[in-house]
Amino acid sequence: MAKQPIPLVDTDIHERVQYRELLEYLDEPFRHYISNCHWLQEKHMPYTQPSIAGVDRADAIVPDGRPAGSDLAFMQEQLLDDVGHEFGILTGALDPSPSSMHGWHEMAAALASAYNNWQIDKWLDKDERLYGSVHVAAQDRDEAVTEIERVGSHPKMVQVLLPIDDIMWGDPYYHPIFEAAEKHNLMIGMHHNEPPIYYGKWPRYFIEWHTLIPTAHMKQVTNMIFNGVFDKFPNLGLIMIEGGFTFIPHMMWKMDQQYRDLRHEVPWLKRKPSDIMKKQIRFCTQPSEELSKKDFTSLLEQMGTDEMICFATDYPHWDYDSPYRALPNLDPELKKKIFYENAKNFYPKIPNTREGYHEGTSCL
Amino acid sequence: MKEQVVCKTSDIQPGEMKESIFGKQNVLICRTPDGNFYAFMNQCVHQGAPLDKGMMCGANTSQSEPGNYHHCRKGEIIRCPWHGREFDIKNEGRMLANPEKKLPSFKVRVEDENVILYK
Repeated sequence: MAKQPIPLVDTDIHERVQYRELLEYLDEPFRHYISNCHWLQEKHMPYTQPSIAGVDRADAIVPDGRPAGSDLAFMQEQLLDDVGHEFGILTGALDPSPSSMHGWHEMAAALASAYNNWQIDKWLDKDERLYGSVHVAAQDRDEAVTEIERVGSHPKMVQVLLPIDDIMWGDPYYHPIFEAAEKHNLMIGMHHNEPPIYYGKWPRYFIEWHTLIPTAHMKQVTNMIFNGVFDKFPNLGLIMIEGGFTFIPHMMWKMDQQYRDLRHEVPWLKRKPSDIMKKQIRFCTQPSEELSKKDFTSLLEQMGTDEMICFATDYPHWDYDSPYRALPNLDPELKKKIFYENAKNFYPKIPNTREGYHEGTSCL
Repeated sequence: MKEQVVCKTSDIQPGEMKESIFGKQNVLICRTPDGNFYAFMNQCVHQGAPLDKGMMCGANTSQSEPGNYHHCRKGEIIRCPWHGREFDIKNEGRMLANPEKKLPSFKVRVEDENVILYK
């Protein structure tokens, strides 16, 4: 009997907007600020970019010269059709980054709404494999809740995206965002934007920043757990996107030990942190270190579960993980969990089947 | 001995590279700025990226001191289009950061206008 291919849910695909495309989705005066006043997203990164085509794969630039990730047809050809994805989660976010704007929150909220409409119109409605992320201006909590109420019930929106930047989202002030997400069966996806990993500043080199991104993810996980988000919202899940996974055992051990000593300070925590992580927190595998099968298996044993990590490519970014080459050769049952079932079980809005779906259409 | 014309010398200018087919293999033909030809498997040894979509460029060498870049080897280094790994064209395709790893290479000779790969 022929080997059954393993289906793939890709938990991190970056679609990209060009601001002129957003204009038709923006109301005035915000359209005017872009089209006439030359508004651009604030950017801070001091480095030239790491590879040869900015933060993108050089071969992902659209053949007509448009930026990588900006054209559905080319993404289909290069990624979705080539690999044979069952489902892919769009994680946009880098441009614009509404929740990372450090001022002018009205503009941030307008951009988030326009982006969601653009995402639905140009991507989610156009390819049945693609599912989306609700963009919000979360620094304006009440606007964020309004936006989640507006688009959160869309059948293809599966999570609310929050940046890992300089706001710790577990603070009770932001809990209405989680309440709204839970109400609509949306998970929380967190992706770093410009994490203040160096005491609020940038390190001297990109390689330092990129090496230490997981520390920014660890801060948010710690913050969300000890602020009691997961007992307060038992149906909420959190997925940490693009921070890797090899730090998970350390976090579980450290938080459990701290909880045994210091529970008195966070009495709203009803379960030990590692149990919360196993049940409600997931981690994308990308960017994967080059682990041997022995080391990879050992890590899973240390986690005590093989259901916490989900495969992601991060297409079209420079540190793309190939579904064929990024992880060591795994046994089929485990491989199916990491490439498909773990993400499928995490997102309640991803269906068991889709029209035109045939189990195992991927090349994995 | 298996050999095959993979392109004409005029197809690749010094400092450029191009993909071609050798038997059933996708290969990368590089022409360094001194005019010489080199050939490698057109697939990164890391995660399989198509190297012809990368770049032939120089390198910041190991002679660099902290805070002071020493840049040379213009056109003698292949950088992968994905993760940016660097391979030394003139040193058997060895990875700069880990010379134990190298791109599989092919022998090349030029006869008249023909670039010929052989094993």
